Amino acid sequence: METVLSTDKLTKHFGKLCAVNQLDLEVKRGQVFGMLGPNGSGKTTTLGMLMGVVNPSAGSFSWFGEPATHHTRKKIGAVLEHPIFYPYLSGQKNLELNALIKGADPANIAKVLEIVELTARKDDKYQTYSLGMKQRLAIASALVSDPIILILDEPTNGLDPMGIAEIREIIKRIAADGKTIILASHLLDEVQKVCTHFAVLKRGNLMHIGPVDDVGKGEEIVEVQAYHDDLSILLQEFVGSASIKKENGLFEVMMKEGYHAKDLNRFLFDKGIVASHLHTRQKSLEKQFLEILADHKV
Amino acid sequence: MLHLLKIDLKKMTNYRTFWVICGLYFLTLGFTTASGMEILKWLASKGAEFGASININRVPLYHFPDIWQNLIWISGLFKIVLAVMVVISITNEYQYRTLRQNVIDGMSRWEFLQSKILTNVLLSLVSVTMILVIALFTGFIYTPEIEWNYFFVGSEFFIAYFIEVFSFLSFALMLGVLIKRSGLTIVMLMLASMIEAIIKINIFRSGVEDQIGWLKQFFPLESITNLVPLPFARYALQEIQDYVALSAVAIAIGWTVLFNYFAYLKLKKSDI
Repeated sequence: METVLSTDKLTKHFGKLCAVNQLDLEVKRGQVFGMLGPNGSGKTTTLGMLMGVVNPSAGSFSWFGEPATHHTRKKIGAVLEHPIFYPYLSGQKNLELNALIKGADPANIAKVLEIVELTARKDDKYQTYSLGMKQRLAIASALVSDPIILILDEPTNGLDPMGIAEIREIIKRIAADGKTIILASHLLDEVQKVCTHFAVLKRGNLMHIGPVDDVGKGEEIVEVQAYHDDLSILLQEFVGSASIKKENGLFEVMMKEGYHAKDLNRFLFDKGIVASHLHTRQKSLEKQFLEILADHKV
Repeated sequence: MLHLLKIDLKKMTNYRTFWVICGLYFLTLGFTTASGMEILKWLASKGAEFGASININRVPLYHFPDIWQNLIWISGLFKIVLAVMVVISITNEYQYRTLRQNVIDGMSRWEFLQSKILTNVLLSLVSVTMILVIALFTGFIYTPEIEWNYFFVGSEFFIAYFIEVFSFLSFALMLGVLIKRSGLTIVMLMLASMIEAIIKINIFRSGVEDQIGWLKQFFPLESITNLVPLPFARYALQEIQDYVALSAVAIAIGWTVLFNYFAYLKLKKSDI
């Protein structure tokens, strides 16, 4: 697969602080690439360097296999941190300006306004928009040049649950079009729901990089509940259980490899116990994320 | 080039403050330069009340070719208004962080600065054109007998005027890029001449003035002022410089290049 972005030991110092430390990333065409990390882990600084607004202290990066110039940026749609527009211009006029800078066809404007459902408010001044509308206009501006790659930095920041769901839908629709998306977020749930690959940053260091699908692999957790006094002892007798934990009145059984919920169910049934609750849980990205951050003491 | 100008004009022409300030500038500039004779008449009538007689025909303010330098010198006083507009235009880009988004969207930093410089060129050209038109109109109205031989004497002041306005706007743009905040930049713009005067007073003390006094013309704001010398002393029968000094043009152009270059350096180096 064609490499869209690769960075080589990309580094940024702010005075003594090392915001990004020798970062090596690779993003391929068609990926929805999630960048995870706590606040201040260097996500926005990294994207700032990739988009030419932050000068790297060392290292290099290339878009589409070529050294980056401002012309390459025209092929990328990006919103960093929060939406930035001229407050006194209408949504429409702001997009016209974006299109002018990017050399995009102004005919796209109506189309992208439709995608983010802002057509009805396009002639109102940007300063009258709600936060959700501003975020949506930002996505529209990123899409206006029909970019090959889309960069979104905390696109659901500060939105209400409905706004978050809307933005997530928009991102999924765009990804379905085959666009490459880089999504920086600290909302893990968000990344797990929309991303194909992810990287974890901590204090400017790359902790992990890999496909999201790998997250749930290997370990399986089964929640069990049954009306039996010695359930915990019984569960320990089960050959497939690696460890057992009691949480909120449920037993969480960490399964050994090759064992699944149905094996546990049969075991209980053979013992004459009927489970009132049996639920297989895959490891969440959140759990993995916390493990990654805890594993590496930096 | 035109593409970049178009980008900046799109930002400006939909901005009400731009029209208000530019409107005020061109209105006051136009009315002041066009109504000098009326002011003179009013002064004469006031003078007559107090028994002093001023013969306004002895003061050929609006006669060709005097009119060029006269009107242009007066017009130069108004450039500060345009400079404030330039400061607002550039500091807005920092305040709204739209400079950042412009670069993200695919402008290079140099292109961004160019778009601002081109607007400065346009504003300077409009000022020059306006004064040219007003001078022609009022000149034909007030000049009793036009001597075509002398008609164009001193019209090179228009070139000097263009450099004067453009240089000052470049200075304002540079201050905006360096300071980034509109209020502080406008205060600095207002105080700049005074600060330069204080520095000159301290350097050129009476003892050394004779030896290094010639260095004064190399100061940035002084170089802008030197382009069009004050003409009115000639009506008090004093000798004045009624031509544009080439050295003044060279120094002012030098500073103009530097102002824009400093702005470029600052823009290039900083994280935005």
